[in-house]
Amino acid sequence: MSRRLALHAAWFVPGALVVAFLPRFISSYHALEWARVGFYFVALLGLNVLTGYSGQISLGHGAFMAIGGYTSAILIAHHGMRDVWTIPLAGLVAGGVGLAFGLPALRLRGLYLALATFGVAVAFPALVQKFDHFTGGSAGLVLTLHPNDWLYYLTWAIAGAGLVLGWLVLATPIGRSFRALRDSEVAAVSSGISPALYKTLAFGISAFYAGIAGALVAISGAYVTPQTFPISLSLFLVVGMAVGGIGSLPGSVVGAILIQFLPTYASHLSEQAPQVIEGAILVGVMLLLPGGAAGLLRLVQSSRQP
Amino acid sequence: MTEFSQQVVSGLASGGIYASLALAVVIVYRSSGVINFAQGEMATFATFLAWTFLHHGISYWPAFALTLAIAFAGGVALERVVIRPVEGRPVLTVVILTIGLLILVNGATQWIWGGATRKFPSPFSTRPVHVGSAAFSIQDLGIVGVSLASVALLTLFFRFTKLGLGLRAAAVNPEESRLVGVRVGWMLALGWGLAAALGAVSGMMVAPVVFLDPNMMQGVLLYAFAAAVLGGLASPVGAVVGGLALGVVLNLLGTYVSTFGGQMRLVGGLGVILAVLLIRPTGLFGRTAVRRV
Amino acid sequence: MKVAVAAVVLLAAASAAGARPVATPGVTSNSILIGGTIPLTGEAAAAAGVARGAEAYFKYVNARGGVFGRKITYKYVDDGYEPQRTFLAVRQLVQQDGVFAIFNSLGTSNNAAIRGFLNQAGVPQLFVASGASTFGRDAKKYPWTIGYIPTYSAEGRVYARYLLKRKPGAKIAVLYQDDDYGKELVSGLQAGLGKKKGLIVKKVGYDPTASDVRSEVAALKASKANVFMIFAFGKFAIQAFIAANQLGWRPQIVVNDVAAATSLMQLSPPKATEGALSIVFGKDPDGPTWKRDKGMKLFRSVMKRYAAGQTPNGYYAAGMAAAYTLVDTLKKAGKNLTRKSVMTAATHLNEKSNPFVLPGIRIRTTPSDRFPISQVRLERWHKGHWVLFGPLLSAKP
Repeated sequence: MSRRLALHAAWFVPGALVVAFLPRFISSYHALEWARVGFYFVALLGLNVLTGYSGQISLGHGAFMAIGGYTSAILIAHHGMRDVWTIPLAGLVAGGVGLAFGLPALRLRGLYLALATFGVAVAFPALVQKFDHFTGGSAGLVLTLHPNDWLYYLTWAIAGAGLVLGWLVLATPIGRSFRALRDSEVAAVSSGISPALYKTLAFGISAFYAGIAGALVAISGAYVTPQTFPISLSLFLVVGMAVGGIGSLPGSVVGAILIQFLPTYASHLSEQAPQVIEGAILVGVMLLLPGGAAGLLRLVQSSRQP
Repeated sequence: MTEFSQQVVSGLASGGIYASLALAVVIVYRSSGVINFAQGEMATFATFLAWTFLHHGISYWPAFALTLAIAFAGGVALERVVIRPVEGRPVLTVVILTIGLLILVNGATQWIWGGATRKFPSPFSTRPVHVGSAAFSIQDLGIVGVSLASVALLTLFFRFTKLGLGLRAAAVNPEESRLVGVRVGWMLALGWGLAAALGAVSGMMVAPVVFLDPNMMQGVLLYAFAAAVLGGLASPVGAVVGGLALGVVLNLLGTYVSTFGGQMRLVGGLGVILAVLLIRPTGLFGRTAVRRV
Repeated sequence: MKVAVAAVVLLAAASAAGARPVATPGVTSNSILIGGTIPLTGEAAAAAGVARGAEAYFKYVNARGGVFGRKITYKYVDDGYEPQRTFLAVRQLVQQDGVFAIFNSLGTSNNAAIRGFLNQAGVPQLFVASGASTFGRDAKKYPWTIGYIPTYSAEGRVYARYLLKRKPGAKIAVLYQDDDYGKELVSGLQAGLGKKKGLIVKKVGYDPTASDVRSEVAALKASKANVFMIFAFGKFAIQAFIAANQLGWRPQIVVNDVAAATSLMQLSPPKATEGALSIVFGKDPDGPTWKRDKGMKLFRSVMKRYAAGQTPNGYYAAGMAAAYTLVDTLKKAGKNLTRKSVMTAATHLNEKSNPFVLPGIRIRTTPSDRFPISQVRLERWHKGHWVLFGPLLSAKP
């Protein structure tokens, strides 16, 4: 345990230092881009808990982000709350919905859950539009603007806290139970672990993270509409998770970097075909390196050991 | 009453569109146990191919047949090259793979043909036909008819041909099928090829109505999934019945229950998926699978 | 005494230092960098011509020496019609590329997403390619923003006035896209009808992500209306025409400007579209009316020279019209080009000779009236193209 601790600290400390000092070396606009990497990272942390640790697929995590984002936006725009205080509330509301969703989700397995969550993500913007006296409908809600550096530090402070929190939770017996469930549900049940409890909990935790990420999306963009959280967001979250390595918390950084920067770089390569490249990369990674970046690292590490 | 019958008829027409794509989804599921999230995009791509043939002066039915052949070959190739290597891997890997395909194919379509909306001809006349007080067109009948014919052909294929039997066997029990000489690998590829061809048919039926553009099938995909789930994911008959029923139900809901107009139709579709999966996951026509521990 | 002299000297030095002008971003002695966003991919990619037409025109102007010797570079970025991407692209254009102004960005939500930022940063948001009236109306809150095309609510009012005059007994059915764009057209129509709002017997909204609108059209037909307003976008407008025709319904159809591009109208069978009405402010490059017109000849020659290989259509013409107005504005802003001077110029326009808009249209603005184009004409679709009729009408919001 202490060896793992040392290993993780070895990654975390320099990482934290890089994050803390980066804005001094990059332009203001790049700080905004890296702030966005930060909130994708938070969302992926949550998604990794759900899929990597409790083995449930969600193609609809954008909807939980939307719940968090809109909670935050409504509190700021309609009730004048200060942005920062809305973030934990957004997480709690989304987390609550996640717990509520987790219960019926127990009855759905694998593909069926994928289908159901896909449906939620597709239909969610319509719900936002429907309750327009609440949500501002398609006109959206306008929020206060903040400087890029401020957004950067806010996002990464939260991301850091989220990472530490997630790591702590997973290091406890809760994490062990999650892993047991993932590896073999039947075996886990026969050793007394209640899948219902843990699976629902996993949904709640991952939705909490997604809600916080959504609030950060709203605050950094200073504007939310039903199109701020489209189905493509949910799909890209899954892409980022897969490329980073399912179940790998540090891999979430790689995934987040991919989600933020791949569209930009793909369009540099070819103005018309950024999507082709994105899709090709995704297919390629799944075929050749299904463990994602984290899997690659493990391969490298294990090939080094005698 | 007039409006009711009109909405039912329009609902059947829309439902025919959902049914035709749902069929493709079901065939893939039936043969490899996978949901191909890229099914709609593949159908759109095939339809654009057909458009190119027509644009170069090839007449309708030869272009149709040529497109089907290429789609079939494409589906087979796709299964062998991209899906085969991830056989047996966790469900999530395959799901992500098909999502990658969705992004890739949609991007390719945009890249090759651009985003402009195009006309696509229909083999059926668009003259309105009046039955009592309701009106629809031969084209609508045609879409429904083609879906029904496809289902009938598929059912005959699965039940009465050796190849069809092999496909079913390979899907249900690959190991034992291999023992009796079924080339399981090729059966899976055949399933994907069939589905791709069905998707192409669906696209070519739908494009005259909704007009051809790279995002044509995105509005249909969720409803196609809902139809497939409603009918029972492994049942072609279920997919068609589910699609037609879904079209009618959504139309009636949209007309008579004001909450469900406009954008809320999507929520209706979602509601169907959730309701079926939670209450009766095997759908109207499916059979319960037993999971062996 | 010495202290006083020293103070004066210090003061003079300080004011001399402060008097050195701060360089205006995006402007050098021989260039102006303008930024914009446009959907080059995605569902609205058909409208990409708006940027490309403008780009071609700037190249034409540059070949003639530019504006006061400055050549215009128009950097437009694909936002796929998604406001999130628009937001990021504009942040990059302003903070990274240092553009002078944002011009001709397309999309209502897209422009709303960037408006707060641009106004806070004091960057002009010029000639927004959207008809939402908020871009002209909310000038007090957003002084750096100005629209261009006639607003959707004004358009609705024009139709209302026409119907009240020519079809006072009309029973109106409305199909509208269920978002801000469609809803503003509807509210304009209602406002224009005033007390006779009840002439609208049924209105049905449709989901812009749906696949078809036949059910909605069937519901509207059931209302037995004799006027059918199609406030839709792109392919949905075509579907509405065809559905009405197939259901055997023959009302007077009115279709909104954005959905009335000739190339789009021609996708529907002639029987379905014959007699439809719309409004227009620009010269249609696809119709026979302006074939010999000097302005359209210029349009064609600019397209041929600077946008070879692309098929001109109404979107390109609209973009070129906006580009013409921008060049006009830059000239008015003077040699000493600053963001402030360009906003002053943009809010004091009096342009009479835009070759790409209908003859007689005056593009006028004041600081409190920020609706550059507020005149239109009615047109009727006849045998495959649009035919203008009637006088120039006011389309003030």
